[in-house]
Amino acid sequence: MNRNAAKVLKNFIQDNAIFIVVLILIIVTAIIEPSFITWDNLLNILRQNAVIGIVAVGMTYCIIAGLFDLSVGSIVSLSGVIVILSINAGVSDYIAVAYGLLAGIAVGVVNGLLVSLINGRSGEAFIITYGMQVVVAAIALFPSNGLFIAGRVQPGFFMSLGQGIMPIVIFLGLAAILQFVLVKTRYGRQLCYIGSNINAARMSGIRVKPNRVSYFAISGFMSGIAAIVLCSRVTSSNPTAGLGYEMDAIAGIVVGGTSLMGGSGSVLRTVLGIIIIGIMSNALNILGITAYHQQIVKGLLIIAAVSVDIWNKRIKVREMSNEKAYIG
Amino acid sequence: MNQYVLEMKGITKVFPGVVALDNVSFSVKKGEVHALVGENGAGKSTLMKILNGVYQANHGQIILDGEPVSIDNVKDAQEKGISIIFQEFNLINTLTVAENIFLGRYNHSRVINWKEVKAEAQQLLERLGFPLDVNRIVGKLSTAEKQLVEIAKALSFNAKIIVMDEPTSSLTKNEEEMLFGIIRTLKENGITTIYISHKLEEVFRICDTVTILRDGKVIDVKPIKELTRNEIIEKMVGRTIDMDYPKRQVKTGEPVLSVRNLCRGKVLRDISFDLHKGEILGIAGLVGSGRTELAETLFGAEKADSGTITIFGKKVVLRSTREGKENSIGLLTEDRKETGLVLTFNIARNISITNLKEVMSGMLLNNRKEKKVAQQYIEALNIKTPSVNQTLMNLSGGNQQKVVLAKWLFSNVDILILDEPTRGIDVGAKYEFYCMMNDLVAQGKSIIMISSELPEVLGMSDRILVMHNGTIKGELTGLDMTAENVMRLAID
Repeated sequence: MNRNAAKVLKNFIQDNAIFIVVLILIIVTAIIEPSFITWDNLLNILRQNAVIGIVAVGMTYCIIAGLFDLSVGSIVSLSGVIVILSINAGVSDYIAVAYGLLAGIAVGVVNGLLVSLINGRSGEAFIITYGMQVVVAAIALFPSNGLFIAGRVQPGFFMSLGQGIMPIVIFLGLAAILQFVLVKTRYGRQLCYIGSNINAARMSGIRVKPNRVSYFAISGFMSGIAAIVLCSRVTSSNPTAGLGYEMDAIAGIVVGGTSLMGGSGSVLRTVLGIIIIGIMSNALNILGITAYHQQIVKGLLIIAAVSVDIWNKRIKVREMSNEKAYIG
Repeated sequence: MNQYVLEMKGITKVFPGVVALDNVSFSVKKGEVHALVGENGAGKSTLMKILNGVYQANHGQIILDGEPVSIDNVKDAQEKGISIIFQEFNLINTLTVAENIFLGRYNHSRVINWKEVKAEAQQLLERLGFPLDVNRIVGKLSTAEKQLVEIAKALSFNAKIIVMDEPTSSLTKNEEEMLFGIIRTLKENGITTIYISHKLEEVFRICDTVTILRDGKVIDVKPIKELTRNEIIEKMVGRTIDMDYPKRQVKTGEPVLSVRNLCRGKVLRDISFDLHKGEILGIAGLVGSGRTELAETLFGAEKADSGTITIFGKKVVLRSTREGKENSIGLLTEDRKETGLVLTFNIARNISITNLKEVMSGMLLNNRKEKKVAQQYIEALNIKTPSVNQTLMNLSGGNQQKVVLAKWLFSNVDILILDEPTRGIDVGAKYEFYCMMNDLVAQGKSIIMISSELPEVLGMSDRILVMHNGTIKGELTGLDMTAENVMRLAID
């Protein structure tokens, strides 16, 4: 009995090592600065991380499918430029938002078609979407020659999207929907099959290509939403606003515990990963640690997350091979 | 002088919850070819992994050349003269033959002397009697040639004992002969071979002595001459098997699948045949004759260039595997690990993969339904597993194959294409598999069975098509279905 309990505890620590480290950080910070654990501060952390959270949640399907989408940052920039330019041109809020989203979906579909065309895996997806990142980033610079664009934003639908708790509602709401689709629908299950063994999925009569295109389309769509929330909050657009978002998003996904090798993971974990990174920077801020030092901690956290993932897998594979001998 | 090169005495290995090896003693004479047979799960691999240093025994002793030794890891085993050649080769595909043979052990002070490495590799291969260009890239070699490289690598360690695990499972007939020649050469050089195989014909041809394992115990050790095939099978499975292939009442009906003038590039040329309701149609032919390509085309995984496929009287064009499935065709692929199963998923998820619609309630997946379905198939097909939640990785080959069959049964297709369905599964599981095939055709399904094992094709089929070079070379029925006739059509 005792040994069993010890094993359960060990497994729990293994699976949640990152969470435990952050929990310790939270406790330490809370002791030093009690205002850290307040509803206001938590809302503040969520609000600050909602935009990157939406991007990360959107890319999670790609990662589970064993793919990458490096173009998300550029999509945020481009969609933002398109929305603000549309509003400045006098288009209604709804149509401006639709343009922004369509741009995101369009880039996603192109990503998907290019990757599908060559039957690419994660490596090819990495390079192709990197290429698209460069191209799309450049397109976002054209309209304003790379300059910041102030938006003539009137109070209304668009403006409301970035105000108050709306970014948080959008972030968590969309994450909940994507998590639900992943776990409870046929589409989500097919994603898991494709991510785990694409050949077996194909040879079981699953249409792999359209599904894979859709993961990029979702990633693009979500980047579009992130752009809208961002631009609404600052009522302007910066054509380089999304610079580096892709890496922050991947960091959130990995810290949450979704494997970069595909096949397993969840949107919920991505939300946790993003929140953890957010809480960590916030705690470090409160502790008075400078931004430069914070970056070092963040980098180490990401490395630790990947290492824990690989380490856990090794242990599991070893346990499985022992079990295999027993079943024969 | 001790006549045994290897003695494993009283080996016991316990895994959580199960005794994998129970006081097993296994002795091998110098220079003999010693067969180790038993059903999957009998303990063969565990015993060999202990010999190889992957596992440590809980009890027992290993004696090499009369000296008690402990084998701590694979490298240790190699240094002591024990090499194991697994079904999946341990070679690096992007390197050359010579580089692979001496991988990590290049004789060098600072700079590798490639000339010397190559010459030594060449010498080893010549010792085996099959010179192979040592500059060739391993990835471009055939399976048989890769095996040769593995054997040469073992020799480079001065191996005294070479263990071969199912060495012929993906070799053609000619390549098998080549391998047997090499084993004889090894024997002449005083090197001992431990030969693990499910194919008893080979055991009788090449081996001197046989050790039979069952449920982690040694059942018998005898010179092969003193045993018959049926005696070995009985000892392996612990019961009498009356015949290799179960009989059935043949009642075939109207054609369900008609293929006319089907062509695909250079791999399929002018293929025409009919498959009838309730029929098992065997497709024989050498590896590379177009059998698997035909299966893939009929399933929609590859597109045909021309020709027609008619299923249940309806002309169809299959552009994807989904269309194949929708037109009632299922394909059990020849490589269950790569294309048949999601090994990291459990049984329930592997069965529902072909027909998720059936495990949904409304728009949503219903886990309870999914598990119930899996439970039904576990019982119906006698899949040995602790639960529906077991990961496929942890099942034996025979049980994995049953899961692949279960997923196609669950998809409700009427035409099943089975590509090498019994490859790498043991005698008992094979027999069960054949009985299931008979049940299926009795229920009115139709089966195309592709197999490289002649006795199986001859024993199970109502009719046999023999393929050669992308065409159907001939059709055999009734008394014409003999091994000689099949080989005659297949070879030339």
